[in-house]
Amino acid sequence: MGETSELMKRIEEPKAASSEHDAQKGKYMTFKSGNEYFGLKIQYVNEIIQFQAITAIPETEDYIKGLINLRGKVIPVIDVRLRFKQEPFEYNDRTCIIVINVKSTVVGLIVEKIAEVVEIKEENILPPPTIGRVDKAQQKYVYGIGKVGDAVKLLLDPDKLLNDEDLSVAEQVNDMNVEEE
Amino acid sequence: MAEEFNADGMLDMYLFENEQLLEQLQEMVLEQKDADCFDEDSINEIFRTMHTIKGSSGIMMFDNITAVSHKLEDVFYYLRESHPENVPHLELVEHVLAVSDFISNEMEKIRGGDPADGDSSGIIAELDKFLEKIKNGATEGGAELPPENVHVEPKQFYIAPVATSESRFYKIYLTFFPETEMANVHAYKTVYALKEIAEDLLYSPEDIISDEGSADLILKEGFRILLQAQCGEEEIRNLIGIGYDIKQVDVFECKAEEFLQGFDFGTQDVQIDLDSSVEEIEVKAQAAATEEESKEAPAPAPKPKPQLAPGDFVIKSKEPGKHKTLAKDKAKMEKTSFISVNVSKMDQLMDLIGELVISESVVLQNPDLKVPGLNLNSFNKAAAQLSKISTDLQNVIMSMRMVPLTNTFQKMNRIVFDVSRKLGKDIEFEMIGENTEVDKNIIEHISDPLMHLVRNAVDHGIETNEERVDSGKPDKGKVTLSARTEAGKVWISVEDNGKGLDREKILAKARKQGLLDENKPDSAYSDKEVFQFITLPGFSTNEQITEYSGRGVGMDVVIQNIQSIGGMLDIDSAAGIGSVMSLKIPLTLAIIDGIVMETGNCSFVMETGVIKEFVRVKSDMMIQEPNGEEFIMIRGECFPVLRLGKWYGLKEYQESVENGMMLILEVEDKKVCLFVDRLIGEQEIVVKPIPSYIKKVKGLSGCTQLGDGSIALILDPGGLIE
Repeated sequence: MGETSELMKRIEEPKAASSEHDAQKGKYMTFKSGNEYFGLKIQYVNEIIQFQAITAIPETEDYIKGLINLRGKVIPVIDVRLRFKQEPFEYNDRTCIIVINVKSTVVGLIVEKIAEVVEIKEENILPPPTIGRVDKAQQKYVYGIGKVGDAVKLLLDPDKLLNDEDLSVAEQVNDMNVEEE
Repeated sequence: MAEEFNADGMLDMYLFENEQLLEQLQEMVLEQKDADCFDEDSINEIFRTMHTIKGSSGIMMFDNITAVSHKLEDVFYYLRESHPENVPHLELVEHVLAVSDFISNEMEKIRGGDPADGDSSGIIAELDKFLEKIKNGATEGGAELPPENVHVEPKQFYIAPVATSESRFYKIYLTFFPETEMANVHAYKTVYALKEIAEDLLYSPEDIISDEGSADLILKEGFRILLQAQCGEEEIRNLIGIGYDIKQVDVFECKAEEFLQGFDFGTQDVQIDLDSSVEEIEVKAQAAATEEESKEAPAPAPKPKPQLAPGDFVIKSKEPGKHKTLAKDKAKMEKTSFISVNVSKMDQLMDLIGELVISESVVLQNPDLKVPGLNLNSFNKAAAQLSKISTDLQNVIMSMRMVPLTNTFQKMNRIVFDVSRKLGKDIEFEMIGENTEVDKNIIEHISDPLMHLVRNAVDHGIETNEERVDSGKPDKGKVTLSARTEAGKVWISVEDNGKGLDREKILAKARKQGLLDENKPDSAYSDKEVFQFITLPGFSTNEQITEYSGRGVGMDVVIQNIQSIGGMLDIDSAAGIGSVMSLKIPLTLAIIDGIVMETGNCSFVMETGVIKEFVRVKSDMMIQEPNGEEFIMIRGECFPVLRLGKWYGLKEYQESVENGMMLILEVEDKKVCLFVDRLIGEQEIVVKPIPSYIKKVKGLSGCTQLGDGSIALILDPGGLIE
């Protein structure tokens, strides 16, 4: 029975995802980390929760802050600032955790400040500059730059954000290719 | 072609059903492998299984599966009809297993989304040869060959279904457009749709799946269905659903007598008495079939007509009739007492109950209750009742997840059979306690390790027949697989009476690889320590060791698998007498008793079972090695000390041993002292995995939610001791 239900799931999943995708197309959840504003496609975002006590896990990367209990589900949380190799910041009551779901991995992102949900049209998304003020570590996770009025948002590829190995400086220099969505 | 069907649900059903059929088939075959031949029931059962698989594979268009099952069906048809003597039973068993393997393999491909492209010709050729062989063996006595089964065999199904007063009988006549391609498949689709409501269903031409010629016949003469069901004409018409390729559907309601007459459609005035015996009806059905066959046989080569000796006939007609009813009764019983539930729903229920247990402790240990002067008498009574119910609830859900080891053991039976046949060793296989129940999740994890162990026992453990004779042992090697529960653990052991492990060889090898302490003589190592070497990765792959003492292949994998579910492997062996490999595994992974403790600002949980003692110690009991390692003397015994805070590099943990707490842990006969800041208490904990996003941390086996909703990490004593 286990296998058959797996099979069913596999068949059903793509359909569900695509219909949701249509309704949420072009919408981005934006948040602030350091001096930059970042955007995440809204369909990855499950919910936003208040900061809560985190159980640290020893022997993990510093940006993995630990585990939280989300209504009975244990999910890992990572600190976006530390992930981007920015300076750490003090958590306070207003710190938020964005719970995202990327390919069935549910992870919480600790961000400094949640901004808003914006719509960015395809034509307003530019490939990221290969040189410039954007920190090189961010380069990998940013697949495009969205223009909203005068402001720009760095659009994040959540898959890379979660799963990419830490890049050494040398790799970053070699691997400046832009990932097209 | 296949995409015309609504594939999702059907494919699921197909895989699920056939998987179960194959499992039953294997079990049955292995049960009787040591007999001289299959008994009547089994032959019928195998025949029926193959027939079902053939049918469903045909409709799903898995041609190679259809072909193979059809061939095996032929073999068993022959066995059933002519009862040949001198059938090489073991060979037959092997053939059946080969077919079942082939089909499983193909189904695995289908499940993975790959096309079922296995080549069936080899197996079919083998079966042909085998069939030829037994036929030749049998015909010498002058017995007549039974007819080819294709057209006659489905008649058996005419008799069994019992008509109730609500049953109505229909004759359905389908006409297809003349240009329709593969009309036989379309016809089968209709049949398949009708099967849902049918109490009894027959159709003509009958062999629409494997006989391509039937397509033309259907186009020319139409497709006729006789249906017994408890529904109206309208419903039938809906099920047949005009739309694809069917030009016309005629549905006539008829009487039971007419129905039993078969496809004569009223042209013949044959009276069949419903009270007549099964045999008589069969006779008539047979007669009708023969007639029909002669009328419509489309095959180029005329098929031999059934010419049955009276003796044959009685057996033939009785058996299928009797069987069908038996099978029906059984199915009915199962329907009322079992439902199949999606495993993910079970898991969900399990999670919810876990939540419940946690919230219960949140309520019962609520700090608000600690206010002095409260009268909590009735609260405590109610709380006790609540705890009792939630414990019961837990037990029930746990018991629902428990599955007997029978299936797993049967698989091992199969392996022993295969390997011993291949190696030409005469081996007896015994199973003890296969009804022992284990959590479903755990079964999944022990299947592979067990397979390794059993294979090793047969391959390396048991000597060849000659060697056995030389050493004066009984000819037959014996492998015993046993299971029992003890103290919340399941013990599964694989025992053989082979040559045992060679201590000297292992020691020599270990010394060569630098695993032994240079200054220690061989004799300082206990047997257990020596045998543990074979579980080390790398050690196993060495040819020299495998050649002499065996037990090399994949032992490190076995250990890893077992340890991942918190189990242990115990190896015992005596040269010349045999060896015993015992697995000790937890009954369940889901809920364990644990001790909650704190170090630094982190909470940890340790399974209660491994903690032998809590000790407050004084600093003068500590022994410091120059290299930083610490030991402690407790009542004259010396234990290595592990400071949890230091081990994980935590902050603000207790430095002074006098202010903290020592836990003496015992794992796999090794003892170690774990130093933590303080103990919090004992709790039943619901084990949850650490999210896979986080890399595996040594010494942690999972996490859990504490009474206050915070998360604690579960320590894995095995990992700590390493």
